[in-house]
Amino acid sequence: MIHLEKLSIKQLFWLVVLTQVGVHVLTIPFEESKHSGYDSWMSVLIGGVMAQAVILITYQLGKRYEDRPLPKYMSAITGKLLGAVLNVVLALYFAESSLMVVVSYADILRRWVLFTTPWSVIVGVTFAIAAYIATSSLRSIATITQTIVFMFLFCFAIVVISGLGRGDLRNFMPLGTHGIGPIVKDALPAFWAYAGYELLLYVFPFVKCRKKKDILITVSVANGFTTFFYVLLSFIATYSFSESQLKSVPEPMIFILRQFRWPTVQNLDILFMTIWLSVTTVTVYVYLFMAARYLAFVRGKEIRNHPFLVWIVAFACFSIGIWVSDRQRLSRFIHYHDTVSILIIAGIPAFLLLVSLVRKRVVLR
Amino acid sequence: MKADISSEINEKSLLGLLSQSSDFKSSDFSAGNRHYRLFYVDTMIEPTVVQEHVIRPLLHHSDGSSIREAVSILEYGETELLSDASNALIEGKTVVHIEGETKLYLLGTDLKKERSVNIPVNERVLRGSNEALIENLNTNLNLIRKLIATPDLAVKYYILGRRSNTKVAVLYLSSLANEKVLKEFERRLGLIDIDYVEAPGFLKELIHDRKLALFPQILVSERPDRVRSNLMDGKIAILTDGSPDCLIVPVSFWAFLQSPDDYQVTWLFGSVFRLFRVVCFILAISLPGAYVALVTFDPRTIPFEIALTVQSSMQYVAMPPVLEAIFMMVTLELLREASVRLSSPIGQTIGIVGGIVIGTVVVQSNLVSTMMVVVIAFTAIASFIIPSYEMSIAARILPYPIIILSSIFGLIGLELSFLLVIAHLARLNTMGIPYFYSGLNGEEDTFLRSPLSSWKKRPKESVAKDNTRIKVTEDGNP
Repeated sequence: MIHLEKLSIKQLFWLVVLTQVGVHVLTIPFEESKHSGYDSWMSVLIGGVMAQAVILITYQLGKRYEDRPLPKYMSAITGKLLGAVLNVVLALYFAESSLMVVVSYADILRRWVLFTTPWSVIVGVTFAIAAYIATSSLRSIATITQTIVFMFLFCFAIVVISGLGRGDLRNFMPLGTHGIGPIVKDALPAFWAYAGYELLLYVFPFVKCRKKKDILITVSVANGFTTFFYVLLSFIATYSFSESQLKSVPEPMIFILRQFRWPTVQNLDILFMTIWLSVTTVTVYVYLFMAARYLAFVRGKEIRNHPFLVWIVAFACFSIGIWVSDRQRLSRFIHYHDTVSILIIAGIPAFLLLVSLVRKRVVLR
Repeated sequence: MKADISSEINEKSLLGLLSQSSDFKSSDFSAGNRHYRLFYVDTMIEPTVVQEHVIRPLLHHSDGSSIREAVSILEYGETELLSDASNALIEGKTVVHIEGETKLYLLGTDLKKERSVNIPVNERVLRGSNEALIENLNTNLNLIRKLIATPDLAVKYYILGRRSNTKVAVLYLSSLANEKVLKEFERRLGLIDIDYVEAPGFLKELIHDRKLALFPQILVSERPDRVRSNLMDGKIAILTDGSPDCLIVPVSFWAFLQSPDDYQVTWLFGSVFRLFRVVCFILAISLPGAYVALVTFDPRTIPFEIALTVQSSMQYVAMPPVLEAIFMMVTLELLREASVRLSSPIGQTIGIVGGIVIGTVVVQSNLVSTMMVVVIAFTAIASFIIPSYEMSIAARILPYPIIILSSIFGLIGLELSFLLVIAHLARLNTMGIPYFYSGLNGEEDTFLRSPLSSWKKRPKESVAKDNTRIKVTEDGNP
């Protein structure tokens, strides 16, 4: 029942885009401007290019085993023991990513919208809804995501309209003075903002397409769209704030939205954060779904009870989530997560691809 | 039990089989050397037919020819079993017995009492046909067959209900309807083992997929033209004897927001109306919740001037907005239910009580704020726009949980309840086919009604065998 029907190319596109964008939209380009300042938009762009490179690796790997999802063929590449370990590592990574997203967004909600609601309630409700959605079939998830696209596009419009308010083009000048080093350095935190295309490792065999190449094109276009969106956001932020302001404002987008007045809506930022919640939920439920699916293949035989696994993962994440309400701990957690995600979403597919290439060579000889 | 040679004994045993009913009658006559005895239930037969086409010819045929040759009745049968004869009797047939034979002759002389075909009352349209289905199965089949003049239309009878023996007709186009869906449907119909079927309500509940679905999964219509358009999509229609409603499976969520009117105007206006209906559906379920969220949690989101207006209307109201909203919603529900149940002469009082007493006095006595009355009135009107009664029930129930969630989490609660509704919709299946799709995957007839020229395929949910609706010629034009 988990795969009732295949995904269409359009569904894959939106699934990738909406998994990619998430909490980061509000903070861009705070993390990315630590070294590169007003040149941060270049860092964001480079992050997108790096993500594209990883997509190529992922695609190559997926194409070699086009009839099965990664957790199924993992042990065929690495052997049983290492395969199981890697499945667990990936499952843990996905669970941790979902936790990460929930916690960072709950932190934003607590500071800007829900002042009095207890931390555990915000985290709990988000996890409950995301887990409920994650227990559905892949097709249902794609349908839900496609419906959330409307809310995403609405938010997109809000951002574009309000971002073109007061600002100064001189904020960008002089271009590129920070040097190539700091710009590349800041591309690393940007890289994690692009995470989301790794769902391709699992989804690959379930996409309905004429040629396998269409998948690569779709995911690349989706990544291109996200890159465009992120660069646009960092443009808007740099357009409105000077470098010294950028470094002290952790959520520039909220400030920009707040100062913009519409005749019908007073505080656009609250509306935006509310609607954006559904877009971040996409990331959460996709990751929960992935975590449960990877977990299902830990032993040799597949564990069929998908909803049960999802609820277990969600509950574990929730119980950890209530303990990271402290902001100091949260930022340490985010920092650690950036490093880990680079290792896992770029490292593991590259490693697997290499091993499978070498193995084939050996077999051919 | 076999029939006896003696008419007297047969009459006694038939009377026994019919529970000594007093309307079971018999009549004797002889012609030539034959003694005939007619059995009938006098409340079920058409007397003139019996007199003109049974008795009169039999009296004139004294030459010993067979009954088939003598009577001028289309529906003719022979049996030796008394149980068959008793079943025929309650259907309005006349049973003829000739003294000295063990055969019983069954002649169709039933009285047909039905109302004439009327205009639809529950599904009104401005343009389009003005016929509605009635309670008689045969008339309904006649109406539909006239609309779909093709031998492709298959009609299958089923008898449901161990005691009620309700006749059910299943209709589909055999070259379109998906076999898997048909098989699944027939399997579910076969599983029904109940003594009495209150059609079509029981049937609906017995064959649908999920018990805990908030949204209707079976389309009910009284319009033959709507049945036709659905059959032409490859769907299955179910007619039951004694009910003027037709059930249609499998349908998607969007079918409940479509109206035959959409196809009588150009696609542009059709789309505008459709979109309007979708927006109204969303408003009908979320407007009270949104209002509660805004005034209790995020008045910062409303512009200052409007916030002042809202505040001034709420000034002397003691109840919190949640209770206000639920109170008004329940009142509205009462009014709606009362106006359906009341007989029409007293019905007008509802307008006075509802409009003047509740609308004005409740506000004047500071029980509910004027703003809330406006919001609820708007919600009610929005819910009236939904063309299907089944869907409008869903739209009546859904606001309550949404109001409660919004009163706990504010706008975030509203957003979460949207997510829940969408998730619930996306998880539903009808006959194993997804119930909801977003309309972004190239589906033509969803929240917009796209131009006819783009309807190259039949809708997804019917999974028709032949999917092409418009054949594209060599040069690319339909």
